[in-house]
Amino acid sequence: MSLANFILPSKKYRQRASVSGLVILSVALACAYIGFNPLGFFTEFHFVQDLLGEMLPPNFDALWSSSSIGFSFLQTVSMAFLGTLYGGLMAIILSFLAAANTMPFRVIRAFARSLLSLLRVIPALGIVLIYVIAVGIGTFAGLLTVVTITVATFGKLFTEMIENAEAPPSEAIYSVGATQVQVIRYSIIPQMLPTFIANLLFSFDLNMRMAVWLGVFGGGGIGFQLYLAMRVLHYKDATAYIFFIIVLVILVEKVSDFLRKKVLKASA
Amino acid sequence: MTWRDFRPTRYRKYLIPTLAVTLLSLGAARVCGVSLQKLQEGLVTSGLFIARMFPPDWQAFPEMLEPAFDSVVIAFLGTAFGTLMAMTFALLAANTIAAPWIRNTSRFLIGLERSLPELVILLLLVAAFGLGATPAILTLAIGCVGMMGKLLADVIEEIDPVTIESMQSVGANKMQVIIFGVWPQILPSLISFALFRFEVNLRLSVVLGAVGAGGIGYELDYAFNTLAYHRALTALLVILVLVFATERLSRGLREKIKVGDPLK
Repeated sequence: MSLANFILPSKKYRQRASVSGLVILSVALACAYIGFNPLGFFTEFHFVQDLLGEMLPPNFDALWSSSSIGFSFLQTVSMAFLGTLYGGLMAIILSFLAAANTMPFRVIRAFARSLLSLLRVIPALGIVLIYVIAVGIGTFAGLLTVVTITVATFGKLFTEMIENAEAPPSEAIYSVGATQVQVIRYSIIPQMLPTFIANLLFSFDLNMRMAVWLGVFGGGGIGFQLYLAMRVLHYKDATAYIFFIIVLVILVEKVSDFLRKKVLKASA
Repeated sequence: MTWRDFRPTRYRKYLIPTLAVTLLSLGAARVCGVSLQKLQEGLVTSGLFIARMFPPDWQAFPEMLEPAFDSVVIAFLGTAFGTLMAMTFALLAANTIAAPWIRNTSRFLIGLERSLPELVILLLLVAAFGLGATPAILTLAIGCVGMMGKLLADVIEEIDPVTIESMQSVGANKMQVIIFGVWPQILPSLISFALFRFEVNLRLSVVLGAVGAGGIGYELDYAFNTLAYHRALTALLVILVLVFATERLSRGLREKIKVGDPLK
């Protein structure tokens, strides 16, 4: 009996040991390559301490001393809300055009499908940079980015959901003489709409977080104000903004959770 | 199909929600400065602009390879350390393992992280540690806690308590319960979540790169800022390929493990 067999008695164990060894080795190599010290966070913790010393206590006066801050928060929430609404509507329309059981014409279907796949792979950063050039720096560019990303995220998902819709109700309606449009209206839309709305409500708080970072790249809103405050070293103001961003995101999450439960309950 | 299918009285119960959403969206559109004219001009401009970005600058392609690799390494390390952190938080957040007050604290921290955009974390860490890969890796690792921590904690709580109780009844301590009772059961979910998170982290590392973490995101932002649009298109194409490839890879591996999609 060799030593390896003695330490690692079964094939399964040997397999697991080699996989974990490989993962650990590649993590170590990657750390060495990029110059990352995993313990650095703890050994260099005094940097974090220094920063906290400069950030605390938060300067909450910054929130209401100038009206532009309040308006920036409003802009960010509006961006997320409108982005979800417009993006969701467009995703729904496109998914009906792309699904095989709602769109009889192959050309339109292929076009909608390739549009959706193309959107899915373009990075959000590229989209916002292009929109900033097209419509100028500001909330409108940010809004268009949120719309585009929402369409990209949900278009394909919705298409698949429509194609996986229960066939028996559609067939039943069709068999009593309904037209194609009536099948969509009385079988597919009632089946899909609650799920679509629930999904979009879920994306409302994802979009909220996205709207924050878009601000840094010219999308306007509170992200821009936060970036500015950090850049000019007004850390105490920044802490106040961050605090309020967290409160807002949690609020949006709670509201969309509540509405989602309501929609799903109403449809059940 | 007759007019009856769209008769207004059928839709009476949707009137108030529709009205509310319409009013809200009108207000929000005002705040965001939505204008159809601007949109029309913008669409034309962006169409022309994208056309002008072609052809991509293939000379710059070799220079893009190293930043692209850096981005992948940052995403990989962020996911690796993030999985470790998420695992710790998840164990502390599961009611089958931790005392109630520890569980609540851990759940609170996970929730707090979830509502904090990654870019905000990066801005803070850059202020503390300076520019470079370190703050980006730490950001991605911390970013894992919110999503993976919650999902894993839920998976741990769903483990059949009989397993754990039977181990405890024959005298296993907490550590032994975790290693021999919990770990094998959550491993498939853990790997599946980590693979999914790697996809997310790669996309994020592009954005974080532009704020000073380096990598391919920085190349893209820099090319845009210096108006080198052909170069920007090259960077964009490299990112496209990267995102597409990791998505395929992670999907393929996840299919093999056969655990449900973490988003569902």
